[in-house]
Amino acid sequence: MGAAIETLGLTKRYGSLTAVDKLDLRVEENTIHGFLGPNGAGKTTTIKILAGLLKPDGGKVTVLGQELGWDKPDIRLRIGYMPELPKLPKHLKGTELLDIYGRMCGMTKEERRKQIPELLDMVGLRERGNDLIGTYSKGMQQRIGMAQALLNEPKLVILDEPSLGLDPVGMVDVREMMKGISKEGVTVFLSSHLLHEVQEVCTHVTIINKGVALASGTLKEISAKVSGPVIIEAEVDNISKTVVEKVKELPFVIGVSEDGKKLMVELKTRDDVRSQVSQAITAGGGIVISMNLKGESLEDAFMDLIDKRKEGRS
Amino acid sequence: MRASHTSWTAKFLAVIRYEILWNIRKKKFLGMLIVAFALTTLSLAGDHIANAFGGPPVKSNPDFAVNSSVGFGGFGFFLFAIATAMNTISAEFESGTIVPLLAKPVSRTTVFFGKLFAAFLTLLATYCFLMIYLTIGGFVVYGPQNDLHLVPLSFLGALFSTLIWISIVLLLGTLSRSSLIAALGALGIWFGTTIIGTILAFLAGQGWILTYIPGSGTPAYAGEPPSLGSGATISTGTDSIGRNLINYILHPAWEVLYYKVNLGATDLGQALVPLYSEPFSNVIFKSIAVAIIYFITFVGISWYVFRRAQVAE
Repeated sequence: MGAAIETLGLTKRYGSLTAVDKLDLRVEENTIHGFLGPNGAGKTTTIKILAGLLKPDGGKVTVLGQELGWDKPDIRLRIGYMPELPKLPKHLKGTELLDIYGRMCGMTKEERRKQIPELLDMVGLRERGNDLIGTYSKGMQQRIGMAQALLNEPKLVILDEPSLGLDPVGMVDVREMMKGISKEGVTVFLSSHLLHEVQEVCTHVTIINKGVALASGTLKEISAKVSGPVIIEAEVDNISKTVVEKVKELPFVIGVSEDGKKLMVELKTRDDVRSQVSQAITAGGGIVISMNLKGESLEDAFMDLIDKRKEGRS
Repeated sequence: MRASHTSWTAKFLAVIRYEILWNIRKKKFLGMLIVAFALTTLSLAGDHIANAFGGPPVKSNPDFAVNSSVGFGGFGFFLFAIATAMNTISAEFESGTIVPLLAKPVSRTTVFFGKLFAAFLTLLATYCFLMIYLTIGGFVVYGPQNDLHLVPLSFLGALFSTLIWISIVLLLGTLSRSSLIAALGALGIWFGTTIIGTILAFLAGQGWILTYIPGSGTPAYAGEPPSLGSGATISTGTDSIGRNLINYILHPAWEVLYYKVNLGATDLGQALVPLYSEPFSNVIFKSIAVAIIYFITFVGISWYVFRRAQVAE
């Protein structure tokens, strides 16, 4: 599998501030790759470099096998880009915008005639296509922004916070869209603050802070980098010494502690072993009411990596 | 997946369509057009209105169309330039619409010149409409018109004069990325060259400087040596190219005489102090040359800046 995006030592400075600091990033083809980081981490700057809006101060950027140069529009024929809270010309109607952008992308009249209604359907704007964008709600502008990014059937789609401003239904629609286009062989590069969204749709993740990539890989690889133990927190009725002993006997358990009705089980493994722990509790005479795995979610990994970075700097 | 190379023309036309739709739906442009239409109507109906209120009867005026067609004047050109070009680049940056636009597979050169050409076409259509309305209205109100073949010359001159202001507004807008700075900066330049320049020319006798900058140019007299308050006054700058071309065709032998005003003179006949003179053809040649040089220079700088512009916001 080749790389849809590859940066080597990518650097961008704004005066004395280094927004992106020798960033090495690799986004495999046909994946949904999440790009995570706190505010000011350098995500949007990186994305704007990829979209040809900013010129890097150093490093090399390759997109879809082609080295990115300044004002070389041909590469953008294969890239769809949706900016954060897209500002689209309010004087145009939804259909006019897609038609004009379609012409800029080199689509023929027949292609535009076929694809524009399909895209409007996909983003749920068929009924409002002939209205001026200025009359659209924030969520509708987000949707038309998504539609324009998917014009011309791009090979790589870069989405900067696509769920921002959307209602819950819109958020689900966007996730389904991302999954749908990924199935068609399109690489999706997603910048988002919504960790659960990234965890739900992304196959790969890069976490960035202060312009530096802290971790990159599949979700499992990322959580493996978390230094803390994985803990099962179980709410149990009838906690007894037998229950505790039965759980301690499990080969992957480091330690067990009690806190009222709560049983905290510290694990050596990062595998999901909740069913084995549940069986051990039941075998000891306990009744499992609920059970949560802590320390292996993307949120845990994210917080852990960001905290480590902070500690390293202090 | 599609990854075809598209013709430059198709992309250029797409940018023009994008920009023209923006232009014709802008409130300030529509407002400007309505005001220009109303003023033109007023100039056509003025005599009738005066007559209705007890003024003199309306007489036929065979020179109405030619005289009125050159009457837009410098401030009119300036306002049309603001209305068509103020938003061209700077408003795209201000509103953020530049982001999705520049992320499309179109070169910045195509975007820039597409936008400029759209401003030109908007202006062309507007002036064309106003001139046709004025000419037909002249026929209806004031009877058969003379020298109608000169009306297109006036139209071209107006277009040329406005393009200079468009290039100034474009340059200021591209450099500052602010529509307000573009409008106020251009207004400052207009004010400086037109009003302060005129004062400098008449009082200090240094009007020759205005020959080399866009605007109304040096005020001068043509034909017979004048006395104060009489004679054919002409402006020698880029704002008067249309009017001067028409005058040149009608009066090719005119000599243009430059004067300064002597404020200390007690005798009215000595108030105008002659400075120098030159053939009318020289004046026209210089104003056209200045217009072309400034237009190319300002547009060239704007294009260079736009090509290198980074979009961080």
